[in-house]
Amino acid sequence: MTSVKEPPATNKPPVWKISAWRSMYPGMWSWVLQRLSALALIVLFPIHVMNPYIDSVRITMLLLVVWHAMHGIKVILTDFGFPDRHQRKLFWVLCVLGIAAFFWLAYMHTEYWRFMA
Amino acid sequence: MNEEVRVSEDAQLSEGTPESGAHEEPVPEKEEPEEKAEKRPTVRVRIRRGGAAGDPEERFDSFEIETGPRMTVLDALVAVQSAQEPALSFRYSCRVGMCGTCALKVNGRPAWACRTRLEGLGDEITLEPLTNFPVLRDLAVDMSPFFAKMKRARGWLEPTSAAEKAPALIAPGSRERKRIEPHIECITCGICYASCSIVGHDSDYLGPAALNRAYTLVNDSRDALGLERLLEVCTEDGAWRCHSQYNCTESCPKGISPTGAIKGLKRRAVTGGVKRFAASIFRGRAPGE
Repeated sequence: MTSVKEPPATNKPPVWKISAWRSMYPGMWSWVLQRLSALALIVLFPIHVMNPYIDSVRITMLLLVVWHAMHGIKVILTDFGFPDRHQRKLFWVLCVLGIAAFFWLAYMHTEYWRFMA
Repeated sequence: MNEEVRVSEDAQLSEGTPESGAHEEPVPEKEEPEEKAEKRPTVRVRIRRGGAAGDPEERFDSFEIETGPRMTVLDALVAVQSAQEPALSFRYSCRVGMCGTCALKVNGRPAWACRTRLEGLGDEITLEPLTNFPVLRDLAVDMSPFFAKMKRARGWLEPTSAAEKAPALIAPGSRERKRIEPHIECITCGICYASCSIVGHDSDYLGPAALNRAYTLVNDSRDALGLERLLEVCTEDGAWRCHSQYNCTESCPKGISPTGAIKGLKRRAVTGGVKRFAASIFRGRAPGE
């Protein structure tokens, strides 16, 4: 097997080192948390489908879906020309809207189940 | 080995006080001012060393320096090099934020050494070479991968025949100029490239600076490479690799938004593709024929 010439060693802190995460800005957190929420949803969704009556799973899924959607909306808006200089504000505004949406939907959800019962 | 406290005289150079005499001959034996001289605050500078072929052991060396008002990280580095560690390697040129040569990581975030003041950085300042670049030695990095990608994105103007004959008239208020304007001030310091996590993940990714440059040229009516350049940069390792994390935008010292440029390239690729597809339907031929 022929050996491939090694590229010059690039200065890159490994992901498990805190120094690799210190330079993260809100936009990066938005992306990381959106990815993590997607992974969590992949795990939770089959559980939810198998047994839709677990309250903790339902509420967690609601939280994750809202979070995932809010940051998806951020990317869509910026993709379609939302001014970049306001992207940080957009992040915080969507965070606040997401939290509000979560509580409102959670409230509606509890009311719905109370009504159904 | 360098942990001992040695105070640099060069720290005084940045003060600009009459006593400092930056451009005068050193005045010997001035006893009175020395006695009166009050103790200046000191900071500890932790500098990542090594990484070169002759000095492979990577480590942090600490140096204590006296600070003065308006002192920058570059002043601190010069002070360390001239008074404590002559072998310290770092790169700088203009000292006034024009060339972008002195980019490094200050307390974990990429910045220009010459435009970053010590005030507000704390009592211990950590200096590291830029991420995503091969380290030549200490704080000096090899910029060649960065410029190779600039070349791959064809970061130069290929003039149209009309532009070669006569100077183009592009009005300041025109749509073309307004599109290019916010992206044109790049001085290729590499800070966006160092802050981009996607460059760290995919070494073939063109990176924010090259894509930003491509965006200015794709929108330039004097440029003849238009579609060819767009196809070159809108690939898996080009604009489509960007995940809109905005690290480059947040860290650019010139206030440029390479993420915005990349999004502009994506929009252009999509609208161009849709137009060609629509045209092909009407013509009854496959796109590109």
